[in-house]
Amino acid sequence: MEFAKKIVETTEEIFSTMIFMDIASEPPFEEGKQVLGCHVSAMIGLTGSFSGMLGIHCPENVGLAISGAMLDMEIDEINADVKDALGEIANMAAGGIKERFAAENIDLELAIPTAISGKSYTISSPTKSNRLIIPFRVEQGRFFIEMKYNLN
Amino acid sequence: MGKTVLIVDDSNTMRKIVSRSLRQAGIDFDQILEAADGQEALDVLGANKVDVVLSDINMPNMTGLEFLKAKAEDDAIKDIPVVMISTETGADIIDEAKSYGAKGAIKKPFTPDLINETLGPLL
Repeated sequence: MEFAKKIVETTEEIFSTMIFMDIASEPPFEEGKQVLGCHVSAMIGLTGSFSGMLGIHCPENVGLAISGAMLDMEIDEINADVKDALGEIANMAAGGIKERFAAENIDLELAIPTAISGKSYTISSPTKSNRLIIPFRVEQGRFFIEMKYNLN
Repeated sequence: MGKTVLIVDDSNTMRKIVSRSLRQAGIDFDQILEAADGQEALDVLGANKVDVVLSDINMPNMTGLEFLKAKAEDDAIKDIPVVMISTETGADIIDEAKSYGAKGAIKKPFTPDLINETLGPLL
């Protein structure tokens, strides 16, 4: 299904057209528990030909830089604007992936994005889920786009 | 008299980005109004003279499609042009939006040029 290629393409499109930050994808993590060291995450559910979740996870400084660039303003703490901005990135990334799968006659529906923040949190899903995490490097560090999915 | 646009999106971030993109596209509105869902949009249209609406589709409370349906049934506002701005731009959903009167659709993420191409002919 080429999840990684679709995620990289749509993420690069979002950052080049609406955030104006240079990003570089790194090799994906595909197996096992990962400690990402992130402080703010936004996620969106997917249903249809497969079910799953797409999320963006950021350390605090990276989340502030991305949301600040998106809103064209200085942001110095994780607040509602940061969560909202990351929620929109998750929404657009899921939309881009939906569009790419639609070209292969694989239909998906999107939920409404949600966001969380904190010093330490764990995101769990059914143990049978497939999981793919792609790191992206920006000047301030790395953020991660995660896809968890179950083939129906 | 200057023109007024209504931006409808549940994301405050996206409303700001759309507003910025309108400026970058060189489309000069005298007034930019905002609403966070379809019901708020109907309320704004009922209380203001609006020339064009840019609306998301996937919103809580009242979606963009529900907003279009309700607007089409109100003679006072049914002729105000609406352009959808959404991640949801599959042919089926856009056809449905157009059947309720939407004049076009812009896929997120978008560029100011795309906003200009789609919105320009409606103004």
